[in-house]
Amino acid sequence: MTATAISTTALTKRYGATQALNELSLSVPAGEIFGLLGHNGAGKTTIVTILTTLMEPSSGTAAISGHDIATAANQVRRTIGYLPENVQFYDNLTLVENLLFFAHLSGVHAPTGRIREVLGFLDFTGHDNQRMGTFSKGMRQRAGIAQAILHQPSVLFLDEPTSGLDPQGVAKLREIIISLNTQLGMTIFMNTHLLAEVTKTCTSIGILSAGTLIYQASMAATLESFPGQESLEDIYLHIEAGQRS
Amino acid sequence: MTEMLTLAKKEITELRRNRLLILLFGFLALAVILSVVVASADFRLKIADYHHYLDALKAAGSTATAPAPQLFPLQLLRGGMEYLEIIGSLFAVVLGTSMITKEKGRGTLALIFTRPLGRFAFAGGKILALSLVWAATVGALFLVIVASLLFVGNAPLQGSDYLRLALAGAHTTGYLIMWSLLAMTLTALARRAGTGLILALVLWLVVVLIIPQIGDTMDPDNQIPGGLFASLQVDKSHEQAVMAHFTGYETTRDLIEQTSVTKQYERATFAYLGIKNEYNQQPLASIWAGTFNNTLWLLAALATSVSTALLSGTKKTILRKAP
Repeated sequence: MTATAISTTALTKRYGATQALNELSLSVPAGEIFGLLGHNGAGKTTIVTILTTLMEPSSGTAAISGHDIATAANQVRRTIGYLPENVQFYDNLTLVENLLFFAHLSGVHAPTGRIREVLGFLDFTGHDNQRMGTFSKGMRQRAGIAQAILHQPSVLFLDEPTSGLDPQGVAKLREIIISLNTQLGMTIFMNTHLLAEVTKTCTSIGILSAGTLIYQASMAATLESFPGQESLEDIYLHIEAGQRS
Repeated sequence: MTEMLTLAKKEITELRRNRLLILLFGFLALAVILSVVVASADFRLKIADYHHYLDALKAAGSTATAPAPQLFPLQLLRGGMEYLEIIGSLFAVVLGTSMITKEKGRGTLALIFTRPLGRFAFAGGKILALSLVWAATVGALFLVIVASLLFVGNAPLQGSDYLRLALAGAHTTGYLIMWSLLAMTLTALARRAGTGLILALVLWLVVVLIIPQIGDTMDPDNQIPGGLFASLQVDKSHEQAVMAHFTGYETTRDLIEQTSVTKQYERATFAYLGIKNEYNQQPLASIWAGTFNNTLWLLAALATSVSTALLSGTKKTILRKAP
């Protein structure tokens, strides 16, 4: 039986009168690359923010690898890695100084060796002593992945990871995400708008609409279940339209 | 504790590389040092003038002895201490605000708070960094001040003078840390960085400039340049006799001044350095007894600023107010 990496039960988040998440129940098995899709304002970032312990839900529960986000938050933080959308670093510090800082905060033993290992894995060498203020968007994104996996998390959250990247950057990132999943066994939860990338990267998807999960299935099952649709984009629009009607 | 040290180390490395802050610190140091150097040079000239005068008397065959001028080297620090009190606290506000705005502005908070940190680690690291930065800055400034007194002013410093300088330095460090932490708190509690800075500057304006100015304006002796009583040639005992008729007024004025932590700091440091004539050349024990309340108020303000900075720097508060 496959263990559950991420689970939520009736997760709800309200901002005043606005309901961002509406009793969301979701389960992502370990070892998946799960893509969460949804239009702007559907609640994608809200769910990632809650699952990464940055925000408390209004009601409901959630757990990462069996650790409750409310009662075992620090245990959850040891289990997860997080790459926010438009990740930022300390521009006056070098790449290695930034990574050392986050490694120490995560309690990584022998951080220098671990940083070398991670940068090697990401094929991101030769920039160790370069200040991060001089980094391009693609370099920042790779540094972002590096900081997220330093402590060898079992679940990795990526919020719009390909946002702002050029086609080469997108392809490189896809390659990295797949390696993290296949070589290091990480469960990956990503929010994205790039449906073509989801088709190439994810093993399962969920569709969020107005804070409610309206669809969840494996990528293979999804592509098989909608034979009339040519692409994931068509499937997504079809499901969304079905929800509205 | 390890997380706190990690955060503090990162802050210090960042501050060392921040050109704007280095420029501000450089300006403050230059203002303080210039003030002391100019006063020291003047001190040296007065001593030299006195010796020339004695030599001239001797050359003229006079046996008369001229009284030595009453020069107290620590009093030369008045200008420098005022710069630290006003400009220093202003820079402390800027520094404290930047501690939070840079994290909120960049979006690095998400990377920090998804780490398994203790509740007060984030704020604790920043408080530690600010304390170390101000202790090092004030320590370095006071070393240069001592060197200026010794080598530019040729001023003879005695053992107790070093202790007085150390006490003034400790008060200054605490005072500047307090301003940085108050600004840090207000910025943490404000949703917009600009709002936090404006609130901190309003507080600074009221505490550093307005309240002391009200107290000074109400002081009868400040009504005429050079002092009301001095210009009327009223000596100290008669001045006290006159003022005894205005105890209610004086108590009110004193209470107004005491609401300003800047005034508390000024009273303590000016007493230790002998800038306030009442305490000049007095033994340390007597100054300690006379200014204990001022030190206590300063300590209370510092403790309050540390507590509020810790409480406002928790993940919950900071993220609730993050853009």
